Amino acid sequence: MIAMFSLADRRVRLCLSLGVVVAFATAALLRHASVHAQTPEQLTIYSSQSNYSASIIDVKGVPYVGLVDVMEPLGTIDARPDGKKYKLRFTPPGGHAVEAQFNEGKDKAKVLGENLKLPANFVLQNGRGYVPLSAVPQILSKLLAKPVQLHAGARRMFIGDVAARFNVELDKSTPPKLVLSFPIAVNPTIATEPGRVRLIFRHEPVVAGEQAAYKFDDPVITGATFSEHDGEAELDVSATAPLLANFADGGKTVIVAAAPPPPAAPVASAPAPPQASQPAAAAPPKPPAAPRFLVIIDPAHGGADNGAAITPSLLEKDVVLALARRVARELTNRGIPAAMLRNSDVAISLDQRALSTNAARPALYISLHAANTGQGVHVFTSLLPAANLSRSGFLPWETAQAAFLDLSGVAAGSVAEELENRKLPNLTQSAPLRPMNNIAAPAIAIEIAPPDDKVENIAGARYEEQVAQSIAAGIAAIRSKLPEVRP
Amino acid sequence: MSRRLVILFAVLAAAAVGLSIYAMHLHRRVAREAQSAVEQQVAVAPAGNGPPETITLYVADDSDASVRKTQVSVVLPAERSERDRAILRTLMAQYLAAGTPHPVGAGSDIRQVYLMGEDTAVVDTNSAFADAHPAGVLAEKLTIASLVATLNANDNKIERVKILVNGQERDTLAGHADLRRFYEAGSIGQAELSWPRELGAPARGRTGRE
Repeated sequence: MIAMFSLADRRVRLCLSLGVVVAFATAALLRHASVHAQTPEQLTIYSSQSNYSASIIDVKGVPYVGLVDVMEPLGTIDARPDGKKYKLRFTPPGGHAVEAQFNEGKDKAKVLGENLKLPANFVLQNGRGYVPLSAVPQILSKLLAKPVQLHAGARRMFIGDVAARFNVELDKSTPPKLVLSFPIAVNPTIATEPGRVRLIFRHEPVVAGEQAAYKFDDPVITGATFSEHDGEAELDVSATAPLLANFADGGKTVIVAAAPPPPAAPVASAPAPPQASQPAAAAPPKPPAAPRFLVIIDPAHGGADNGAAITPSLLEKDVVLALARRVARELTNRGIPAAMLRNSDVAISLDQRALSTNAARPALYISLHAANTGQGVHVFTSLLPAANLSRSGFLPWETAQAAFLDLSGVAAGSVAEELENRKLPNLTQSAPLRPMNNIAAPAIAIEIAPPDDKVENIAGARYEEQVAQSIAAGIAAIRSKLPEVRP
Repeated sequence: MSRRLVILFAVLAAAAVGLSIYAMHLHRRVAREAQSAVEQQVAVAPAGNGPPETITLYVADDSDASVRKTQVSVVLPAERSERDRAILRTLMAQYLAAGTPHPVGAGSDIRQVYLMGEDTAVVDTNSAFADAHPAGVLAEKLTIASLVATLNANDNKIERVKILVNGQERDTLAGHADLRRFYEAGSIGQAELSWPRELGAPARGRTGRE
């Protein structure tokens, strides 16, 4: 063999070199693909009900999204495969049910009885139906009877008339100010860098106004550029001096102005004149923020962490996300503000869940789980010995929940009573569940198991609705017992 | 390209394809053998030399989320940590038997029980115990509760129990139950009023609405 290779001409060496290059390129591509598989892209969706995101998957180079992921927050959806067919029934809140049907591996679909040609074939994966991203506006606008606008390159979608256009006005007074006026209250992430300030809108449906780029005839604030990418919008203000951004008008106005120069350093040799006769005008103290009652809902697992496999095609992470959205709606219907730790198929570490919850200072934390052990609904409090800790001071991370066990028990008992009222089999126990012990607020965990002998009924719309109503009603009944907190 | 080179590349390509098929065949055979080994592996308490002794097991039951006290007769080793391990393996054998009320993953076993002082036990389980354990808050909690209660019932000096997996600390058993902490037998007994049934009534009804 060696002798044969020694006889090879330049073409052999060329072939081998090409082989090595191809091998490296393949390895690099595989590595790139695996990295992307770990961090799926997200489509940010803005609607009048809520703003949320859905994972985008790549099928032969075409971006696809799950129909249930996109539609679940908008109403009640019952979607299941039936052989090669995928039947979907959607009921908007207070509306009539509408139906659509898709066929695995086919580009022909039926929406509200009308034929629809998809730009690429419908895909079924693990019992979940996926359509090409570019087809979503057409499908949704028919099912929802609302205009739907997709900014495909930026991975942003607007359902109904929710897009918020803003005005830009330069006030040339001294110092100059750039006044940004929005039709809704906004809370962008603000990043300041030398010569620019970036306002990043992750949760607001902000879109460009009359133009996307502005140039100003001003020596300090020289321009502003609006862009959309990666599911968010960004306004980039450039300047020749450091800038500061401030909010006004309840968050509907953002004022960007030059930062004041730093105060001159005091001169040690020149003693300041006594100022006792001229007391400094103290700024009036800000009134304390009003207490508020917030419930944090934590749909467990997500991303690569599937949780329990209820059936081969029904994963705990999906069941609890659907339940969490329903619980949030039921709480909102009862006038109780609720926030979800995840509203899409993303991974969050256990410690991060506890950190985010504690930072939000909620009145109650609910961790949602699903399993096929036992039947009915299991309500848990933390398995920690009660401790006489002050709730207002610092709490040990590993046992923070011990200070709230009495209130957690009250919440668990109230939810159990509502489950009982709805004749749902239930059980109240304590459990060593992470990250409950780290939660510095009243906390319960709820694990749903199948309501009867049919395991797949765990994801039934009626069961989900009854459980969500029980949770929300249970919390509403003891709202006055749970302390409101200041933000 | 010369004819000789074409033949060379054809032979190399054929060899590559053949080796790939053989490698896939070997991979499947190893996986089959490993699976078979796991399925055949059932935790069995090591035989001791003395007469049979009656031990107490707290056996979990998924159907009603309880942990029930039962007694069995086994021959145990004399050395304390070996004895504790044998007791837990007897419990594990109950969960691995056909028709068990609380299944655990095939091949689950107790590798070792380490005693730290008089009152603390570190239970080292094998990978199959955690990797193949049914995921769920209730299922995982029942397993831990039964391990801790069984250990404490038969070696009442043991008050604190920590569970390792394959000699390593792990965050959770199967995604839910905390394995980073030490479990205190006393506090589990107080908090878990719904189990064992002998310890008290189910914890229900503190609604706080009154």
